[in-house]
Amino acid sequence: MRLTALDEVAERIGLKKLQGVAEARAIHPKLEVIMADAAADRRFLAAIADWCDRYTPLVALDGEDGIFLDITGCAHLFGGEAALLKDVLSKLQQFGLDVRATVSSSPGLSWAIARYGQETIVGDGEAERALAPLPLSALRLDEQMVLSLFKVGLRQIGDLFHKPRAPLARRFGAGLLLRLDQALGRDEEPISPRRPVASLSVERRLAEPVQAEEDLLHLALQLAIALKPELERQGLGGRLFELLLFRVDGAVLRLSAGASLPLREPKRMAALFRDRFQALHDDLDAGFGIDIIRLNVLQSESFSAEQQDFSGSGNEQAGLGTFIDQVAARFGADCLLAPVGRQSHLPERAFLFVPAAEVVQGLSKTPPLAAEATPCRSERPLRLFRHPEIVEATAAVPEGPPVSFRWRRTLHRVRRAEGPERLASEWWIDAKDTFTRDYFRVEDEVGRRYWLYREGLYERETNAPLWYMQGVFA
Amino acid sequence: MAGNAVAREALFALRETIARIEGKVLPADTTCVGSKAEKPFAARPKPGEEPSSRFLPLGVPAFDAVLQGGLPLGELMEFRGAELRDAGAVTGFALGLCVLLHRHFAKVTGRPLVLWIGEKVVAMEAGLPVVQGLQDFGLPANHLLYAAPKGIDEALWLAEAGLESRAFSAVLLEVRGNPARFGLTESRRLSLKARAVGCSLLLLRQAGEEEASSAVFRLRIGPAPAVSRRLPDGSTLPWSLGNPAFHLAFEKSRLPALADFFLEWNPHDRQFSALPLPAAASGEKPQPAHSGALLSASGDRPHRPQPLGHVVALHRAS
Repeated sequence: MRLTALDEVAERIGLKKLQGVAEARAIHPKLEVIMADAAADRRFLAAIADWCDRYTPLVALDGEDGIFLDITGCAHLFGGEAALLKDVLSKLQQFGLDVRATVSSSPGLSWAIARYGQETIVGDGEAERALAPLPLSALRLDEQMVLSLFKVGLRQIGDLFHKPRAPLARRFGAGLLLRLDQALGRDEEPISPRRPVASLSVERRLAEPVQAEEDLLHLALQLAIALKPELERQGLGGRLFELLLFRVDGAVLRLSAGASLPLREPKRMAALFRDRFQALHDDLDAGFGIDIIRLNVLQSESFSAEQQDFSGSGNEQAGLGTFIDQVAARFGADCLLAPVGRQSHLPERAFLFVPAAEVVQGLSKTPPLAAEATPCRSERPLRLFRHPEIVEATAAVPEGPPVSFRWRRTLHRVRRAEGPERLASEWWIDAKDTFTRDYFRVEDEVGRRYWLYREGLYERETNAPLWYMQGVFA
Repeated sequence: MAGNAVAREALFALRETIARIEGKVLPADTTCVGSKAEKPFAARPKPGEEPSSRFLPLGVPAFDAVLQGGLPLGELMEFRGAELRDAGAVTGFALGLCVLLHRHFAKVTGRPLVLWIGEKVVAMEAGLPVVQGLQDFGLPANHLLYAAPKGIDEALWLAEAGLESRAFSAVLLEVRGNPARFGLTESRRLSLKARAVGCSLLLLRQAGEEEASSAVFRLRIGPAPAVSRRLPDGSTLPWSLGNPAFHLAFEKSRLPALADFFLEWNPHDRQFSALPLPAAASGEKPQPAHSGALLSASGDRPHRPQPLGHVVALHRAS
């Protein structure tokens, strides 16, 4: 085992990275060693990146220990680049982090200066001057390349500036020049933000952190009210909203809530989050308080405004939409379902439940499942078991209906039976040797009606066909 | 005299309050002082009020009579199946009522949807609703929303929110057994909500016991043998399974129901009709459902009925 990272004290007493743990312990017997946990490090970095959302929506992770913030157009909100940088550094320092940061015009330049340089803000024309004294590894080159450049006497970035480009490219590949151009800002380098940028976003910074749920909901309502004019101006209604709560201690809570119909009514937006809050209940921990609250519109659709008539009809659709949203916010989208027919003759594949929010717009307008889709079939049961249940049945060979069957440890005597309805397997989905099913509609002595099937044709497919119970009729 | 009138006024106000709590309608003339005050408060509609606005007749006179005119609209109704394997019958009858309610509301107001709240336990043990089966039964599947709550708390919340939304013509709440968290208080709350918004709430209690609830009536639903399919010439097709039939017994109702009911649901006409007797008693002897050739009945067995008439002289033995 080797040391992968050291804290300040360890560095001061002379330990090195990649030193063996045994050796380090021999030097300092009281050394405390913690196992490296790369996943936890990544989570921590992601949490810091989340926290950085307060400065700009464009936050990208960089390797294992860096974060890029694209502050184009954001700096003035914090009083300029210098003030922004100071704010970031001081706040992160309060969390106990040792952070270095640089503001510059390109990601490559910031990367180089933050890691190898001293400056904090590099102006537009100063890239060459700032880069020149830095070692070559500041260009984000791999070790092999740095070593081979070192061999030919190139040690600083400044050494590369006035070399002819063609020989460099020929000898060291295009990667070197690309990195150099990126650092100098000659080549555009995009950063890849972690999250999509919200189309609309409203936020509120609080002088005093708030903790109470009602206060947060009230703030959410205020934000929703502030969002409405912009939605109206663009003719949009939101479908997916996200409420970001920045906790004082740096954690960021994200609550998202979807609407089944495009929505711009502030009260209904706030109601969505009230349901989410209630669903989370204890999981929502406001800690020492929330100091920034932001409402994002992640998805929006065009909103068709309808005039209501005096009788108030047309409320049904709105009521339904509200209900679906409430349920989705509280119990998740999978709670409320709408059945949809599918093209299949096997009963368990012939229908599907989809979240109601997805079909609500077409609900009760789509024509019922066309009868010609299934040209000829017998009646289907009202309820179908999720998985057919095996039963022990007595039936005449080869193809008789069951005379009696034992289902869930109870013996049922069949009084009447209708069938068989023979359904072949769907060979284009199932394996080729899947058995044919013979369905029987049977009634027991009391009058319960069941749907049973025999799997496998006697002697043509199997010698021991099995019986299954698949559903119950009314 | 004035004191008497004031006392009467107070009495009427009290009666009115009680009638409202009980969900009855006061006859219009009882509000005037001094008229036939002794007239009992029947749940009869006001003269000006259309009877169908509060009741939805099923079309079976004896059954409607017990319900005082038909299925009450905007009430909590309970349907109980004694065992889980009766789930088909319970579901079928309740869905039949849903179809009627659905048709009624689609005509009156634009509320075409039915909300079915099925606890996950029931769905696992008694199955999920089937689109094609519902269609065969008379309820277009695109008019159904199915909610699958995880527990009874979620189910109750869904039922209340569904009623509150006023978007449904009927709400089906399906529970397994008698959950402790769904007692009289909760059912009272739901029934008040249903009455307030005018939406019927059908409580299906699968494999449950009788339990006091605030439902306006409670029916025990069991399976009943179906009659054979009717052929165009009026005869029936032997050994076939016709329309679904139900065996109903009132366990709680305003008026006493003396006998059990046997009803049949016709999915094509979408209406209930009375079955005279369970099919088993109507002459068809139970026989194994074997389509193959039957063996000839063996003669000379002691259980066979003896031939009629007296034996006057035995055959000669030799």
